[in-house]
Amino acid sequence: MSEITLHDLEKQYGETTAVEDVSVEIRDGELLCLLGPSGSGKSTTLRMIAGLETPTSGTISIEADDVTDQPAYERNTSTVFQDWALFPHKSVLENVAFGLKMRGMSKDDRQKRAQSMLERVQMGGYGDDDPTNLSGGQKQRVALARSLAVNPDVLLLDEPLSNLDKRLREDMQIELREIHEDLEETFVHVTHDQDEAFTLADRIGIMNEGELVQVGDPDEVYENPKNRFIEAFLGDTNFVDAVVTRTSSDAVHVDTELGTELVLPTDGEPDVDEGTGLTLSLRPEILSINGEGRPEAAGKQPVATDGSAHNAVTGTVENVIYRGSTVRYSVSINGSSMFAERTDASTGAHAAGDDIRLEWDGEDALAFSDDGTRVTL
Amino acid sequence: MTSTLHRETVENRVFRASYLALLVFMLLPLFVVVVTSFSQAGRLAFPPESYSLAWYGEFFESTRWLRAFTNSILIGVGTALLASFLGVTGAFGQELDTDDSLGAILQPLVLIPLLIPPVVLGITLLMYFSEVGLRGSYASIILAHTLWATPLVYFVMRSVFSRFDWQQLDAAHDLGAGPVRSFVHVVLPNVKHGILVGALLAFIISLQEFVMALFLSTPSTTTIPVLAWTQIRQALDPMVSVVSTFLILISLGAIVIAAIATNLEWLSKQLS
Repeated sequence: MSEITLHDLEKQYGETTAVEDVSVEIRDGELLCLLGPSGSGKSTTLRMIAGLETPTSGTISIEADDVTDQPAYERNTSTVFQDWALFPHKSVLENVAFGLKMRGMSKDDRQKRAQSMLERVQMGGYGDDDPTNLSGGQKQRVALARSLAVNPDVLLLDEPLSNLDKRLREDMQIELREIHEDLEETFVHVTHDQDEAFTLADRIGIMNEGELVQVGDPDEVYENPKNRFIEAFLGDTNFVDAVVTRTSSDAVHVDTELGTELVLPTDGEPDVDEGTGLTLSLRPEILSINGEGRPEAAGKQPVATDGSAHNAVTGTVENVIYRGSTVRYSVSINGSSMFAERTDASTGAHAAGDDIRLEWDGEDALAFSDDGTRVTL
Repeated sequence: MTSTLHRETVENRVFRASYLALLVFMLLPLFVVVVTSFSQAGRLAFPPESYSLAWYGEFFESTRWLRAFTNSILIGVGTALLASFLGVTGAFGQELDTDDSLGAILQPLVLIPLLIPPVVLGITLLMYFSEVGLRGSYASIILAHTLWATPLVYFVMRSVFSRFDWQQLDAAHDLGAGPVRSFVHVVLPNVKHGILVGALLAFIISLQEFVMALFLSTPSTTTIPVLAWTQIRQALDPMVSVVSTFLILISLGAIVIAAIATNLEWLSKQLS
C-alpha cells in the first residue's frame, strides 16, 4: 500500500521517444488502469515503475522515497507479466516462493506462505506441478500468486489478461477486482482494452503517443474526454465535421455534411467565432431512432422534439448488422454515413432501404476543435 | 501422382546413398587407425599380419606417453573452463546490452583468432609468452587454445541464449534477485546443457590442436598430438595408432555426452 508519484517521466530509445512528460499521483490503495493503444508507452511507464527500465529523465517516488535510481531488485514492486514469465525449471510452489527466498525467508515459512497464496488464487492443489503444463488461465493465477506473495508496495500488471480468451478474461477481471478490494493494495494495470479498464479501474489514465492524455474516474473520462482521440478510443462514435454559421445568446448553430443545420446549446454567451471548424461526436447511445430507443436506456430524458437543443436528421438505412445484444444500422444521410444502434428487440426493426429519423439532444453532442482538443461551448 | 512420389523416393535414396558413401569415406581412415593399433608387428601396416594388445601394453608402460596424455587432459580441461567462462559471459553480456553497435563490432572481432593461421598465432604467442614469463607453462597452451575455443563457445551460447525467454530475467529481478542470484537461480538452470556442450567442444578442440601446441610446449608440457608427431618422425610404429584410438574414443565420448545433454530435457519431458 502506498502512494506513487511519477514526475515528468520521459523515456527515449535512441531517437524515438517512448514516454514523454508523464506526471501522475497514484493514490494509496487505488486500482489505476493505464489504457492506450499499442505503442502508446503504457508498458514502458509500468516497467519504469517496476525499475526494469531507467527513465531518461523525471523521477519516480514510492511513499515519498525517490526510487528513480533503484534497480528492480531493490524496489518493493512486483509485476505480473504479459506472458507471465513463470520459471519453467521450478515447480509451481517454487515459483511462488522464489521472491520470498530472495528476501531471505526460511524454507518452512516461505513454503507455507506460497501455499496460502496459491490457495488464494484457487491453485492450492497445483504446488508440485510443472508450470509449463498449466493452461493460460492457471499460469495467470500462479503469476499473480507469485507477485502477491512478496507483499509488494504496488502490484503492476502488464496486460496479463490479453492472452486469455474472452470468457476467461472477463472472469479474471472480476476476480482481480475482488482480490484488489480484499487486499486494499495499490494496483497499476496496463491494458489496451477499454472494457477491461472500465471493469477494473478506480481511475483510468489514457495514454497516446507516449503521453498521459487524461487521468480520471471512468465515467469522467468517458463523458468528459479531453480530446478527440479519447472520444474515439473509448467507444464507437460518429464524428461529423461542422462549421459555425451563427451564434445566439444560448446556442451555437453549425452547418454540417449532414445537410441540416444543427444546434449546440451553450451556458451563456458562446465563446466561438463564426466560421470556426468543429468536429461533433454523436455516440450511438444519444441517438434516438424514429423517436424511440437509446436515450432512456442511457438514463436520459427522451429527446424533446420541440426544445431549442433538438436536432434531427433523416436518411436511409444502408445495412443492418446484427451484433447480439445490439442491432447496428448504417444510415446514409445526405451522402454521408452515420450509424445508430438499437438495443431493445421489441422496438420496431428497420431494414435496408427504410427511411429513418435520428434525433438527439444537442447537449449530449461533444465538440472538438480542428486540432482535436475538446471545445466546451 | 504416383510417378512423382516414385521419383521422390528415388531421389531420396540417391541422396541417402551418397550421404552414406561420404560418411564411409570419412570414417574409413579412422577404422584403419583403430585396426592398426591392434597390430603385433613393430611396423605400421594395414591390414596387420597378426593382432595383439602389445602396443596398448607398451603405451601404459611409457612414461612419456602417459605424461603427454595427462598434459592433454589438463590443458583440455583448463581450456574448456576458461573458454566456457569467457564465451558464456561474453554472449550473456551481449544479450543484455541493448545498444547493438557494440555487438556489431564484437561479433566479427570474436572470430578473428579462427581466421589467423595457427602457425602465425603459435609464433606470435611464443614471443609474447616469453616476454611475460609464461613460456613453457601449461597456462601458455591453455591460453592459446582458449583463443580458438572461445569463439565457438560464444556462438553456441548466442544460439542458446536466443532461445531463452528473457522475460524470466525481468521476473527474477522484479522478485528481488540481484544480477548474480538471478543468473544463478534463473538463467543458469535454463542454459546449463548449452554450457556443457560448449565446454565439451572447447575440450575436443584443445585435445586435437597441434600447431600452436608444437610451438608452445616444452618436454614437460608436451601434448598427445605433439608427441605423436615427434614419434612419427623417428619411427612409424603402431603406438601412434593406439594413441589416436584413445583420442577418437575421448572425442566420441564427449560427443555422446553432448548429444545426451541436449536431448536430456526433451527426454525428461517425454518420460514424465
